[in-house]
Amino acid sequence: MTQMVRKANAFEILNHWVIAISFFVLTISGFGFLFHLEQLNSVFGSFNNTKVIHNWAGVVFSVSLFFTLFYYLPEALRLSSDDIGWILKAGGYFSKKAVVSPQDKLNTGQKFYYLFVLVLGIAIAASGFIIWLMPGVRKWVLLSHLVHNISFDLMIIAFPIHIYLGTLANPGTFRIMVYGTVPLEWAKKRHAKWVQKMGL
Amino acid sequence: MKRKALLISPELCIGCRGCQTACKSWNQLPGAKTTNRGTYENPPDLTPDLYNRIRYVEMPSETNLVRWLFVRQMCMHCDDAGCIKICPAPGALFKTKEGAVAFNKDKCIGCKLCVAGCPFDVPRYDEKDKISKCHLCSDRIAEGLAPACAKTCPTGAIAYGDRDDLIGKAQKAGYQKVYGQTDLGGLGAIYAFKDTPKIYGMDERPAIPESVVFWHRVLKPLAYIGLGGAVAASLIHYAAFGPKREEGGEEK
Amino acid sequence: MTNHWIDFKNADVILVMGANPAENHPISMKWIMKAREKGARLIVVDPRFTRTASKADIYAPMRSGTDIAFLGGMINYILKNNLYFGDYVVNYTNATYLVSPEFKGPGELDGIFSGYDEKGRKYDKKTWSYQLDDKGLPKKDPTLKDPNCVLQLLRKHYARYTIDKVSAITGTPKEKLNEVYKTFASTGKPNRAGTELYAMGWTQHTVGTQNIRAMSIIQLLLGNMGMAGGGINALRGQSNVQGSTDHGLLFNILPGYVPVPTASIIDLKTYIEKLTPKTKDPKSVNWWGNRPKYITSYLKAIYGDKATKDNDFGYAWIPKLDEGMNGSWLVLFDQMFKGNFEGFFAWGQNPTCSSGNAGKVRKALAKLKWMVNVDLFDNETNSFWKGPDMNPKEIQTEVFQLPVASSVEKEGSLTNSGRLAQWKNRAIEPIGESKPDYEIMNELYFRVKRLYQKGGKLPEPILNLTWNYGEKGPDGKIKKFDIHRTAKEINGYYLEDLYDKKVEPPKQLGKKGELCTNFVTLQADGTTSCGNWIYSGSYTHKEGKVINMMARRGKDDPTGLGFYSGWAWCWPVNRRIMYNRASVDLQGRPWDSKRAVIKWNPNKLDPKTKKTTPAWEGDVPDGPAPPMADEKAGKYPFIMRPDGMGSIFGPGLADGPFPEHYEPLECPIQENPMSKQRINPVIKLFYEKDKGLPEDVYYNADKRFPYVATTYRVTEHWQTGVLTRHEPWQLEMMPQQFVELSKELAVEKGIKSGDKVIVSSARGKVWAIAMATERFKPFKVMDNIIHQVGLSFHFGWQFPEDGSGGDSANLLTPTIGDANTLIPETKAFMVNVEKA
Repeated sequence: MTQMVRKANAFEILNHWVIAISFFVLTISGFGFLFHLEQLNSVFGSFNNTKVIHNWAGVVFSVSLFFTLFYYLPEALRLSSDDIGWILKAGGYFSKKAVVSPQDKLNTGQKFYYLFVLVLGIAIAASGFIIWLMPGVRKWVLLSHLVHNISFDLMIIAFPIHIYLGTLANPGTFRIMVYGTVPLEWAKKRHAKWVQKMGL
Repeated sequence: MKRKALLISPELCIGCRGCQTACKSWNQLPGAKTTNRGTYENPPDLTPDLYNRIRYVEMPSETNLVRWLFVRQMCMHCDDAGCIKICPAPGALFKTKEGAVAFNKDKCIGCKLCVAGCPFDVPRYDEKDKISKCHLCSDRIAEGLAPACAKTCPTGAIAYGDRDDLIGKAQKAGYQKVYGQTDLGGLGAIYAFKDTPKIYGMDERPAIPESVVFWHRVLKPLAYIGLGGAVAASLIHYAAFGPKREEGGEEK
Repeated sequence: MTNHWIDFKNADVILVMGANPAENHPISMKWIMKAREKGARLIVVDPRFTRTASKADIYAPMRSGTDIAFLGGMINYILKNNLYFGDYVVNYTNATYLVSPEFKGPGELDGIFSGYDEKGRKYDKKTWSYQLDDKGLPKKDPTLKDPNCVLQLLRKHYARYTIDKVSAITGTPKEKLNEVYKTFASTGKPNRAGTELYAMGWTQHTVGTQNIRAMSIIQLLLGNMGMAGGGINALRGQSNVQGSTDHGLLFNILPGYVPVPTASIIDLKTYIEKLTPKTKDPKSVNWWGNRPKYITSYLKAIYGDKATKDNDFGYAWIPKLDEGMNGSWLVLFDQMFKGNFEGFFAWGQNPTCSSGNAGKVRKALAKLKWMVNVDLFDNETNSFWKGPDMNPKEIQTEVFQLPVASSVEKEGSLTNSGRLAQWKNRAIEPIGESKPDYEIMNELYFRVKRLYQKGGKLPEPILNLTWNYGEKGPDGKIKKFDIHRTAKEINGYYLEDLYDKKVEPPKQLGKKGELCTNFVTLQADGTTSCGNWIYSGSYTHKEGKVINMMARRGKDDPTGLGFYSGWAWCWPVNRRIMYNRASVDLQGRPWDSKRAVIKWNPNKLDPKTKKTTPAWEGDVPDGPAPPMADEKAGKYPFIMRPDGMGSIFGPGLADGPFPEHYEPLECPIQENPMSKQRINPVIKLFYEKDKGLPEDVYYNADKRFPYVATTYRVTEHWQTGVLTRHEPWQLEMMPQQFVELSKELAVEKGIKSGDKVIVSSARGKVWAIAMATERFKPFKVMDNIIHQVGLSFHFGWQFPEDGSGGDSANLLTPTIGDANTLIPETKAFMVNVEKA
């Protein structure tokens, strides 16, 4: 039997699902707003419902994002020379032979992805709240509208890549979102420093 | 159908405000409890129950004691309407075949983005958080009638008709500036000015906020392109490199 | 109006003085703006820069109550610079007449005319007469050189009105005076026309009638009377006030401006002898010479078969005035205040807010036993007993309120200022228990009649009325009032077959039972009836069909002058411009061919007979007679005047044949800069040197009330606001009583725009919101700085019910009226303004 190590606890798993689903809902409704996709929005009933769902999904997203601060942020900020190595090798994604530097619980890409999501998440949430709660305050709404949409554009680019990397590109990764555990061997190869720290 | 418009001529306006009353009458809008603030101008701003109003401006005159201008504030019915552009709810704000920027309260989601998108500070929201503004009496003009304001205006200061004809008329009358001829794709409320628009308290070059234009031109397409591009890039990568395998002996 | 609303578009110069059409007659601005589009100049003279002034080419500020000084200066300017229309003045006015050498003017008698009786406060007009020739006709000097001719007297009289003097009185800058005079006097040429528009700004003064007279003189001098784009045009203050005046609204006239008899005129014969103007000049039409026909036909209309030759056509039954009795507004309420009335119908009026010195009216109503208030809404009059400073416990007046239908809830005619009677249909049924006025009157009449049937003094005037306005039930009451029957009675009927016996064989003019063609066929022998001769022809028989001419909607305008002769019907005989015979020269050629009102065509083709006959073309002329040059049949143009001439010299008025400047009852200066006589010497004073009611007190040039005030209306409200204050859309725009004042005065008094201030006069006080504005400027009067303020009179305590609107500005105005009409002087009085 393969020895497993726990990479994410139950809360982390749940929270990831929450943020993912809320993001998905926000994206669909957001696209509906952007391009007046009436059929897409019929999922929600009407555009009025869409607005309500979009706004409250935003609240869920924000809360979820807030919780990530406690477990992803400390990891993401722990940067070392190995991260430079990872970057120099582009995470080994563009070569079948490249050997990347040993990685912590989060690899460099994951760290940067998280920081990226955090910054944009805060921007899109804050601007969203301004549009929602300060209607008619023209200057702020216009600025927020811009920030909201720039953030959205960047996130909509990052999001498929994130899914791709978490599924097809890295078989075995997706189970973390389901079980929270990974095989020790798998972990040793990909998160050597983390395994080392755990003393396994 | 030829685009319809209103030609507003402050030089012909006598400030009688028949337009304010006629508008309320046709649209069945309630009167508000106001106070006299030491001026004829009232109410002090557009409201969800006040689609148009006359501003009273006293300014120095070279020939007379004073110059007293009456300038109408209303929806300008832009061809390139910032409100429609920014509105996220399809059908909430729309252009009629006559060129009026009309609205459908049932479809309005109350987000108020149109307030930000409007260069003229026109859209207002009612107590149910639905858009409320001049719609050029879209119900009347659809039946071939003039808007209530134009119908009631005694001096022709508010004239309704084919937009091209009205512009021609204003130019022929020798006005210094036909305001809104080309701005925002051409306004549906054109003003015949004797002086610079500034004198009448109007923007020299009204425009949709640059950020909204940028959003419309760049960010909106980018959302599609970005999403598509990212998915495509992932697939290409998968085809080129395939999944990352654990073998490779990088273990230390 | 001598002309009509649309005619403003034909003018080259439009003088707006004593009016504010943009605010009170907004539709008229349509035509004014059309005239301006064609290059006309708009002059506005007003104490305040109004919304009309905002469209003016020339705005001249003028202190309230100094119009005669202003216009006198213009007369002087015209005469001095010989800008008058010579041919017109010589042929069409009384300028050539020689006046009695005993006549003396205010220049010689220090402010009064000859014949003044100081004790009686009236003139003996003996010296205001013409020198007569052996035929009994006035002597004339066509060269206008005789020192006693009217034009020379006019010259002498107005020579005193120099620019310096006028400017010192009016406070108008001299350059503005010159600009106005020059511009308006430019219409003295045959091919130019100038019109004047006035309203209450001229009439509501102690010199109200003379204000209009002064302008009449100017218009005669410039040859603007009878012209398209000319005339003197009263912009009436209510939509049908012209109609109600035409139909005998005033105490001293019967329908059609036929005088109400006095008690000493005991029978119809005496009435006709005494009150029918006469002329010995065969060229004068003297239309009022037909008065016997009009009074007789009127009596036949109201008393029908009961009016017979034997009973003087019921002349005895119509009410008579006591000798010297005045039943006008101010006197009426003065008498009511003194307890001389039992009851009062306030019908479609709100005197507790609209009347001059409204505070006195409020007290007067408390002296009544009963009052009936007929209105759309409860108002300050109806609820006077619970108003401010009233103690309901002490007031015994029983008040009945009758709800009445609004104008859209009833059928009938409305006559606008241009004398155009337009028929309108009912749009909706009256709401609730409200009824059209005529239904209420019908009910009232029936009940009064029933009481008289039981007995009473002199029942005939009531019992003998025809009152044939619908089918009667078994009880004699009309079930459903038919307003068309009223209109037909007004038009009149042929009671017998009528023939023109002057031609052989006699030509039938009218068939028994048919409606009269027009007043030309009315008779003095009781064979015709007519309720109001000037409306005869408004509802008539044409080619066998009954036609309501007022309901016509023809839109043709062949002349392009805007007559629209096929639209509705205009009195008299659908004539759109009065005195139009003055618009042509002696041969009948228009002075200005571009705006030919009428012209004489020696070969006019009759479309029916295909024969050509000499006749007039264009508007309905003032009579079919050929032009004046025609030796035998030619007639003078001013057919309503006994002498056929436009009156530059006007001896008919109580206060002088020429207008003279007198100060308002309350004014800011101790003395009249023109003469020793400060105020109009013949006005009826209600208060004099501590004699009189404290309610009627006035203070002149008193430090406690240092500012000139005037009252006015604004577009957003109507009259005392009973209709418009209940209309939230209107109230939203003008929610509160306000006072406009100059920024200079505001600084002096520490008042800011939007502040609540108290405006007070000798009679009362009101609060108002201050509007400090550039549109009011201090006046320089006799080297003093004089401030003027202005208030609207649209508000009243009763509604809005929270009192947020304020109260009537008429609580401030004095009890004084015009010397001829007693119209209250609400346009010039003195007040103080203090921050509340």
